[in-house]
Amino acid sequence: MFKAWMPVRKILHFTDVKMISYLHVRHHLAGLQPPAGKNIATLPVCRSSSSVKQAPLLTAAPVRALIDDQISITARFLPPSSPVTVCTRMHSEDGDLWEAFAHYNTDTSGTVNLTSDPSAGGSYLGCEPMGLFWGLQPAPGGREGLRLRKRNVQTPYVVRISLLEGHVSPCMRDISELAAVTTERWYMAPGVRRSDIRQNGVVGSLFLPPGPGPYPALLDLWGMGGGLVEYRSALLASRGYASLSVAYIGHKDLPPPQNRLNVGDEYFKAAFKLLQDHCEVDADRIGIFGLSFGVFLSLRIATQLGLNPSCLILVNGPVGSTVALPDMEDHFLTFEKSQEYWTYDKQGNVIFKDVSLPSNIAPERKAKVENINCPVMYIVGEDDLSSSSKENADVIEETLRSAGKSQLFTRLSYPGAGHLIEPPYSPNARVSFWSIKPEKLMTVWGGHPAPHAAAQEDAWKKVLKFMESHLRR
Amino acid sequence: MDRTQCCVQLSVQPSRALVDERFVILVEKAPPGFQLSVRALHQCEDGHSWEAFGHYISDATGTVNVSQDLSLGGTYSGVEAMGLLCSLRPVPGSKPGLRMRKKDVQAPMMVTISVYQGHQVEGFVDQVPLASVVVERWYVAPGVRRIPITDHGLTGTLFLPPGPGPFPAVLDLWGGGGQLVEYRAALLASHGFAALALDYLTAKVIRETGKMVEDQYFETAYKELQKHPQIVSSRIAMIGLSFGTTMTLKMAIYSKVVKLRCAVCISGSHVQPIEKSVEEILSSFNDRADKTRINEENQVIWRDLLLPIPTDPSLKADVGSLQCPLLLVVGEDDQNWPTKESAEDIQEMMERAGNSHLLTVLSYPDTGHLIEPPYSSHTRTSNFKPVGTNQKVTVLWGGQMAAHARAQEDAWKKMLAFLRENLYGGRKASAATQSNL
Repeated sequence: MFKAWMPVRKILHFTDVKMISYLHVRHHLAGLQPPAGKNIATLPVCRSSSSVKQAPLLTAAPVRALIDDQISITARFLPPSSPVTVCTRMHSEDGDLWEAFAHYNTDTSGTVNLTSDPSAGGSYLGCEPMGLFWGLQPAPGGREGLRLRKRNVQTPYVVRISLLEGHVSPCMRDISELAAVTTERWYMAPGVRRSDIRQNGVVGSLFLPPGPGPYPALLDLWGMGGGLVEYRSALLASRGYASLSVAYIGHKDLPPPQNRLNVGDEYFKAAFKLLQDHCEVDADRIGIFGLSFGVFLSLRIATQLGLNPSCLILVNGPVGSTVALPDMEDHFLTFEKSQEYWTYDKQGNVIFKDVSLPSNIAPERKAKVENINCPVMYIVGEDDLSSSSKENADVIEETLRSAGKSQLFTRLSYPGAGHLIEPPYSPNARVSFWSIKPEKLMTVWGGHPAPHAAAQEDAWKKVLKFMESHLRR
Repeated sequence: MDRTQCCVQLSVQPSRALVDERFVILVEKAPPGFQLSVRALHQCEDGHSWEAFGHYISDATGTVNVSQDLSLGGTYSGVEAMGLLCSLRPVPGSKPGLRMRKKDVQAPMMVTISVYQGHQVEGFVDQVPLASVVVERWYVAPGVRRIPITDHGLTGTLFLPPGPGPFPAVLDLWGGGGQLVEYRAALLASHGFAALALDYLTAKVIRETGKMVEDQYFETAYKELQKHPQIVSSRIAMIGLSFGTTMTLKMAIYSKVVKLRCAVCISGSHVQPIEKSVEEILSSFNDRADKTRINEENQVIWRDLLLPIPTDPSLKADVGSLQCPLLLVVGEDDQNWPTKESAEDIQEMMERAGNSHLLTVLSYPDTGHLIEPPYSSHTRTSNFKPVGTNQKVTVLWGGQMAAHARAQEDAWKKMLAFLRENLYGGRKASAATQSNL
């Protein structure tokens, strides 16, 4: 079922015009170490003894940015009409090296400006000001099945942007690094406060914007991958919203065992109330942000628990659940029990899409969408292979329409985007590890780099505007 | 709390920036026509608190945009995007004569910006703001390396930009207060220039020997830069403020060792006895101390010491023999040095000698002596202890806040362009063309 990967990497572009394949070479990178604060990957500097030529000037602004800020990159004082490569490198918290690169040509004044110039090849094509960030991929020769997710949101990603001579790829030997700058990308703005929440049985992390409040707030729910995912909440707090990210499966502080959903209605009610009762939260302005299974949870909280969220933001998730919530029935089911609906691609990676096909969900396990009384924004990645998002969006839209509530529903639908529609300018993982026990299993999330990146950027802007309209008026 | 007031939103973008970058302060969702105060609070490294505030009235949409709207009063008035930083002043009750200068350049300056109801002038600390954010202002970009320089008797700090280099370099000199002042060099390195901040008045070697440095000290610093594997030996500039200008011109014109690509002289003069040691030059200034003026506020004005500009060529640096581009930055209200008169005389001397194509003068009305990187608080007067004395006096530096702030912003931009053009650009050193500045 699970085949070994060939250690060959391909960089696929949206238009699939160019494919650049690498040889499986070991990296002999000077100074390459796992991250310990400020260590940054450096490239082998191979300059001939005669070249004491001055470095060109590479600038990036801002050098310290929030994750959803655009960074402008320019290179000046290069020879005119010359080929150069701009590349990014960074280490994830686990020590994996991620990189991206693009080929440019300087203009007649010897300048390259990534905000306006097109890439002629590399991790992306065309004019993509943030392509070097969303185009980051694990470096050749590294571990497989990776997904880039920040665990410690109180430190930045440190990304080194390098300017290389010619049209090269970063893993080649004997490349000449002409210049480099270092940028920091943060999920948390200065003054944002983070606290661990272990209260009333709720396991979560609360992020509060700076200042006295009270603030509008969000309950932040992720998917069946489990754990406690903080980065979206940190970013929301950096944009002025109190945000509580809540774990509900796969966390050591939840009732065991970790691979089962052992919390139900009472748990989510407690989480919502925690926000309502918080002295720095505006109790009348609380929304719910749910991705994947978090969509079902959001719908359930909005319709079943006697609560009144101000709005729902739903990304790629089901209207119902194949997994029973403890409050719903006597017996518990784990996600693995939905295996009858699992399918596999040619490499043996599991595709979960059919699990959430509305026709595969028992009616009594569907949320009562007709009872929704607040605006709903549903975001669909049309290449979502993990969830039947379009079909579920259709069900929600149709249910609301029948209830005379179509004015509450907004859909954003993105061709080529996958399941993991996350804050902008972060790389998409089309495939990554789902589990390593009892055996290694990778799952296909879907999504192609450029359209997925465009979806993330556009969706985030619209989400912020949606929240502005419904949480601040 | 009133429902409408609790919804007031404040954003300051960017929240992390270099000190020479602008921010945009936006207040939203206030009631229309609402009186409010926007206030900045900063606690500097020595523990003193500094504040600034502006008085605004929200428009019909309940918005205040500090970059576009008028401050009706406070520590600044008018449309001043960066007024909250430029007009920072010690909070009431602080020691007099303070000056804000960053010592640890590797940590950011933290500023809390808040919105308060009404047009307040005091007592902010006792109130709960309507909204508040924190911004970080940095002197270094990530990846800038700070290297103390102590070899060959030097006291300095070298800042290297990130990357392999090699980089052009700048030797950075401050003035008569001495000490090792790093922040401008740190900022220059954040813009792609290797920069060596050099203490030449209170350096270790001076404290140990009791003797002032000679020309050789600067030449050694220059050679250290040339030797550095990440510095291009033929692309070194000097930047000097105040007495640092005196030293810069001395080296640029008379040193057989120092060959500058270009020089920047801020708030200084070419008046100096030529071919004399540093010690002798300082003495010659001290000899004229009787020309010190003290105004009604007991503030010391030293601009007359070097006036009138002498006609005797042995008493001023021979700018006519300069061979590299020179950028002069002049505050027309400089009460500490006769910068304006000196600049005029320099212009005349260079025109007569036929090398005035090398000269660019930036002259700013109502601008004082301390022309620093932009958006730093304007210091019109402060306590000062000149090197070699034990007296602490209150010096009048000059300048009116708004004009001085604008001058700092404009001069810095043009200085960076001048350095880029001469240190990064072209094979031949050339004067900055007007179109580029």
